[in-house]
Amino acid sequence: MNTILSLLKPRVFSTINNLRTDNKRNHWMRFFMFGAAGIVFWAGTFIILYRVLFYFQSVQDFGDILAMKLLSMIIMTFFVLLLFSSIINCLSHLYLSQDLQLLHSLPASSKDIFLSRWLVSTFDSSWMVVAFSLPAFLSYGLIYKAGIIFYMIVLVAIIFMCLIASALAAILVLFGATILPAGRIRTILIILGFILVLLFVFVLRLTRPEQLVNPDSFASVVLYLNSMQTPNSPFLPTTWITDAVKAALRGEINSSLFNIALTGSCAFMLIFIGDVIARAVYFMGFSKSQTTPPRLFKPLKYKGLSWESLLNFLPRESKAFAVKEIRIFFRDSTQWPQLFLMAALIAIYLYNFSVLPLDKSPIKTIYLQNLFSFLNMGLSAFVLSALAARFVFPAVSMEGSAFWIVQAAPVSIKRFLWIKFFLYYVPLLIIAEILIIVSNLLLQVSLFMMILSAVTMFFLVPAIVALAVGLGAVYPDFKSENPAQVVTSFGGLMLMILCFFLIALVITLEAGPVYYAIMADIHGKQFSLLQITWLIVSFGLAIFLCFLSVFYPMRLGEKNLRIR
Amino acid sequence: MIKLNELTKHYGSTIAVNKLNLHADAGEIYGFIGPNGAGKTTTIRMMGGILAPTSGNLFIGGMDIAQNPIAVKKMIGFVPDRPFLYEKLTGMEFLRFSADLYEVNPAEFSQKAEQLLRQFALWDWADEIIEAYSHGMKQRLIIASALLHNPKILIIDEPMVGLDPAAVRMVKDIFKELAQKQTTIFISTHTLSIAEDLCHRIGVIHRGTLLAEGSVDELKHIAKLGEARLEEVFLTIIKENAFL
Repeated sequence: MNTILSLLKPRVFSTINNLRTDNKRNHWMRFFMFGAAGIVFWAGTFIILYRVLFYFQSVQDFGDILAMKLLSMIIMTFFVLLLFSSIINCLSHLYLSQDLQLLHSLPASSKDIFLSRWLVSTFDSSWMVVAFSLPAFLSYGLIYKAGIIFYMIVLVAIIFMCLIASALAAILVLFGATILPAGRIRTILIILGFILVLLFVFVLRLTRPEQLVNPDSFASVVLYLNSMQTPNSPFLPTTWITDAVKAALRGEINSSLFNIALTGSCAFMLIFIGDVIARAVYFMGFSKSQTTPPRLFKPLKYKGLSWESLLNFLPRESKAFAVKEIRIFFRDSTQWPQLFLMAALIAIYLYNFSVLPLDKSPIKTIYLQNLFSFLNMGLSAFVLSALAARFVFPAVSMEGSAFWIVQAAPVSIKRFLWIKFFLYYVPLLIIAEILIIVSNLLLQVSLFMMILSAVTMFFLVPAIVALAVGLGAVYPDFKSENPAQVVTSFGGLMLMILCFFLIALVITLEAGPVYYAIMADIHGKQFSLLQITWLIVSFGLAIFLCFLSVFYPMRLGEKNLRIR
Repeated sequence: MIKLNELTKHYGSTIAVNKLNLHADAGEIYGFIGPNGAGKTTTIRMMGGILAPTSGNLFIGGMDIAQNPIAVKKMIGFVPDRPFLYEKLTGMEFLRFSADLYEVNPAEFSQKAEQLLRQFALWDWADEIIEAYSHGMKQRLIIASALLHNPKILIIDEPMVGLDPAAVRMVKDIFKELAQKQTTIFISTHTLSIAEDLCHRIGVIHRGTLLAEGSVDELKHIAKLGEARLEEVFLTIIKENAFL
């Protein structure tokens, strides 16, 4: 036990040292921003769920069934999330972390190392799910006017749920790592996970929930509600947890405690089984993980066709960086699922526009089409910001420990950053223009709105890309084991906030004059001198904002990297 | 070819390098020795253009690195103490990347890359991804890439770390050959036998200050140690802490 506590100390001390104010720039700023974002999300979840449950309560007969079905769905979703997050965390903590070589060289048994890493993994994979599950249970407690015992049972149930998910994940990972190197398992799991999420999103979207507002389809909803009353399998831990929470809500303490006891015994049994398996196979799997697996896909070679020959039109240094960037991107298997996700995001975005029932709306179609086109500009820019945050913001950090090569190379930091900028600017501009033009075609907007949207995106894309490159250079993390995760850092949050303000400002500046332009067009009126001046100033300001967002963050980023 | 003038680097309140003055001529192999934390790597990183000095000047090939960083870097072959590379590139791809940045003549690249990869026993691994390389192989690849553009000056931090005895011998022979062709080589090392075998002059740095400088014989004279090995000379100089 002492060894396990000792093995946990580096993690605890590192966390404490990280909290020391002298170790971080803008410590309070970070604390405030993350705290505020967390509270907004937490409060948002609570308010939405509270309102939904409140509404359910007002529906006779079905209200309670719906609330309970929703509860079981929430618990099932949390459990699946926990399981997936635990598998990824277990793989990292048990097999892939950089400090494992040191740990295994210490006079500690592999069982102790396993247990200490499993505990850390359980904490890492659970805390966020636990934190964001609390508003859900709080809203149930308040709506059903539950007593203190309900909250205590919920707390114990959540802890057991985390332990079950983590222990199950550890058992799966221990078995997996004896067959395949851990790095390969992670790749396969991440790809499978993303494919599953995509399938789920597509299926959900293709069921066209907007049809629920159509009275013709009500018969199927009644059938759906009937199917909701079918009980879940009695052998699943999620069923016991759901039953324990339901019973606690209704004040049936004995039934609740029985289900909690079932859940707890299952959790401890799984931990015990995991421990027994770890003693037998953990070190064997760790040893296997130390080898580099062969490449999953060998490069396809055609006569003289390579990235170098395709990008021959670029200046030599730019080509060198472009080829390096493209190769590393496509060889890093953790990036592939992100590509699927990006494609899915765009496909779903466009699909949504294709099924909008514009013709059934009581509002005048031409007005609605232009309004939607305007909203579409903002939404497309947000989709683009998300892509920039995921792919462009980590671009500088992706250099990692090899950043010395850039520093020692005869290329200025300014040039290095501008090469990064253009590398991402071109593909993102193409994506953005396709997105806006296709969605506008689906909306059948006027030519004026089509041109305005395309031009707005043309100016917004470089601003968003430069913000992402510049802030990525202001807040780089060259030491991260997974640089793609820097998007969740303070800098990533700042980027999303700044993008939000930039897009909102540009759209607001354009909205006034455009509204009058459309109205004048509809009513066949001429523009007044004041309206023309307003139009010029507004559009001039919007363009100025975009230019400022291109050059200022790039300069800040350059300055920060130069003084490192 | 290399001239450090009152070079100083502060990390907050810590003085890593304190008013360092030294020079190395064309064709000279200059060894930079000192205990851990003496300021060797900080000096080397400033010479490689990776770190900006707090004050002082650094002239390479007659040019101030602060004024002409790009032109200076084109003259330098830089090898850091730890071989961090782009792990997802192959050895050959990394060399091509370096060649493009250092503007190696494209017509000569293939031949030069093959020659270096063969010389450093990496030819069979040329098309393998670097993450599969051993520590020593990565170190050899970095040295090969530093030589790709025929630099006038080689700046190397701990060149022999991770290399097997055969590779150490090979690297030493290459350095001697380059020095004969008037390449200036600045080496920081803990391995005193390498400094003794290879360097024309040696500088001893401790707590950011240059304590002594000269050939091995001159250092023995400074430390008043007659026929002693460099190790004893080094320990005496560090212990006494005031020779210059």
